[in-house]
Amino acid sequence: MRARISIGIVIAIVLSMLAAQCPPPATPTEIPPTKAVEPTKAPEVKPTEVPKATEVPKPPAPEAIDIGASIPLTGKYGALGAMVKPGYEFAVTHINAAGGVYVKAFDKKIPLRLTIYDDESDPTKAVSKLETLYSDKKVVAYLGGAGSDMHAATAAIAEKNKVPYLGIAFALYQIHQKGYKYLFSPFPKSPAQARDVYEILNAEIPEGQRPKKVAIFQEKTDWGIELGGLWKENAPKYGYEVVVYEEYAPRSADFSDIILKAKAAGAEALFAVPSPPDGLAIQKQMAELGWTPKFTLMIRAPENVSWGETLGKTGDYVTIFPGWHNAEKFPGVDKLNAAYQAEFGRPADLLTGPAYACVQILADAITRAGTLDRDAIRDAIAATNMTTVVGPVTFNADGTGKVLNPLIQWQNGKLELVWPKDQASAKLLYPAPPFDKR
Amino acid sequence: MSGKRLVVIALVIAGLALLTVLPVLVQSDSIINLAILALLYIALASSWNVLGGYTGQTNLGHAAFFGLGSLTTRLLWLSVGWPLPLSLLAGGVVAVVFALLVGAPAFKLRGVYFAIGTLALAQVLNMTVGNMFPMITSLPAEYLATYQLAPRYYLFLGLALLTVGTAYVLVHSRLGLGMMAVREEEEAAESLGVSAFRHKLLALSVSAFFAGLTGGAFAFYHVGYYPQFPFGPVWTFDSMMMAYIGGTGTIIGPIIGAVFFVVAKELLALNLLELHLTVFGTLFILVVLFLPGGLVEAWGRIRRVLARRARAREVRLASPEQASGHQTVVGL
Repeated sequence: MRARISIGIVIAIVLSMLAAQCPPPATPTEIPPTKAVEPTKAPEVKPTEVPKATEVPKPPAPEAIDIGASIPLTGKYGALGAMVKPGYEFAVTHINAAGGVYVKAFDKKIPLRLTIYDDESDPTKAVSKLETLYSDKKVVAYLGGAGSDMHAATAAIAEKNKVPYLGIAFALYQIHQKGYKYLFSPFPKSPAQARDVYEILNAEIPEGQRPKKVAIFQEKTDWGIELGGLWKENAPKYGYEVVVYEEYAPRSADFSDIILKAKAAGAEALFAVPSPPDGLAIQKQMAELGWTPKFTLMIRAPENVSWGETLGKTGDYVTIFPGWHNAEKFPGVDKLNAAYQAEFGRPADLLTGPAYACVQILADAITRAGTLDRDAIRDAIAATNMTTVVGPVTFNADGTGKVLNPLIQWQNGKLELVWPKDQASAKLLYPAPPFDKR
Repeated sequence: MSGKRLVVIALVIAGLALLTVLPVLVQSDSIINLAILALLYIALASSWNVLGGYTGQTNLGHAAFFGLGSLTTRLLWLSVGWPLPLSLLAGGVVAVVFALLVGAPAFKLRGVYFAIGTLALAQVLNMTVGNMFPMITSLPAEYLATYQLAPRYYLFLGLALLTVGTAYVLVHSRLGLGMMAVREEEEAAESLGVSAFRHKLLALSVSAFFAGLTGGAFAFYHVGYYPQFPFGPVWTFDSMMMAYIGGTGTIIGPIIGAVFFVVAKELLALNLLELHLTVFGTLFILVVLFLPGGLVEAWGRIRRVLARRARAREVRLASPEQASGHQTVVGL
């Protein structure tokens, strides 16, 4: 019996592996992605082939322009997804209220139709949802969810399907270094965050008062490693010294060891990118151990409103690079804030603005492309040069956005925009007073 | 061969033929992708069932084998440059080696202690991999340019057939009887000369090998994820849930459970947005409450009801007077 089992197993393994290596008889990916939007080919006909361009009958316009998003509305990124989703929805509502997006190929405005699925913060489910949006909904563009690993998976599917992809809520730069052509992100990335913090400090604080000794608490994650390394690399260029560079595993409960090292080294500034539970623990333990950095840049954890509610005055003076703030003075921000206020009882959340901007960029690109051809839309997005609710946006060749990277600060339990000055809602408070004197 | 058996064989052959030509018939990446997920879970739930369902050892660390297979295959295939078949086999072998290493001490624990022990081991491995491999593993653009779902589909189809076929052969062998004897009463099995430890270790190895291979296939299929992701407890609990929904300790149970789980969850997710988890959770609770033997039990119940009705009809046809007399008595 054992021999029979062994022979059976070996045969089955060999057969399945051979099948996996063989090219398929027919594959869904062989279908040209532009097939669903074939009517858009009409304007590409050379004028010499027809008597007059104006005489070419316009193809019937589709009922709507389908776009789709897979967003983590539940699971570990649920809180981020909850900020992203209304941004997309409000932008689509506002654009459709004005008649939709003008598409030259049909010579009319066509409304956007947005389909959103919840991927449960699971990259496998996100992949599945993107395939459904592509195969069943025939979307002309994808809008991203939140979280680096989610974007890594979904941007790859966009690349495979050759569908333009606009994503925010991730600062990881390495995703843009894979050679992907369809990925665009109007959101600040690690290189900007690693540079801007020093430039802001040097611009805002007089020479003798700057926090020259820096402690970096590096989370052992891809983004933590990437940004921590860039902060360390940039420090000497701007006149700063990294006196403590300590790694920690995500979800560590005790940070006292690295806090005491920073305190002993006389560090005056702290840079870190902790997840919410780690960030809260670090801030509480710094207060307990009596180490108050004059300046703290802690990206991610303090972006949640629970930061202020949980920590009270202990959470004040911490700064963040969140990508956007509702006090920005760009066109459309007031309208977005008013809509958000009416539905949620507060101005728009930090990720809502960048999400709104994604739809603005897409609508503008479709109009400039003049067609619903995905490659034409992709090229138009790459050539974007417009002002959105997050300010002026253009794209680098790798799909990263040249966008504003505002600095905000917790002041009296509120998030205030402190940089750039022409957008600021409050002044940067520096140095932070000791925790026990607040 | 009885007529009933012939019908079953014909149905199986028809099903297999349909599955083989599915990528040709269906020109939708969405459906092929869903079929891949269903096949992945059939293989994973069936491999869990060998140890959990047939040997009675509730393993809460199945994700460790799946994750090890995935990690090994991805590293060897993408980073070292080994051919895919070799990388896949290596994934399965590494999972078995780990299973044998942890199996000996783990089987000193019984019942709930074994379950908790395996969960703890898997979590330790999960965190260790998270610390050692923090970077996302993504397919490079040149791989994506030629990425096709159909080869992945056939790999998972072969793997699911292999896992289910092996489980079938195993449980119908002397070894399988020994495994089931251990499940029913370990002491009694030992007293009859069945080595509980040997049978449990064999079941664990088979279970780990196929979970490792499935993890390897996952590494070939998935475009981008954290190496830690396949080690997450969700892979264990989803597989277990599927085996329970379908019916543990049966060959068909994990297959029905996996298909039901994947299709129902996807349909709900596509239509109910955030609410889908609540609805699916309720559905799962209802199945567990009313069908503790899984959907296989539901089919058994339906068959029993149909058989009872058929018998009653035969009795009425055979003796109509008696039947009407009985009705009269009841009426009185």
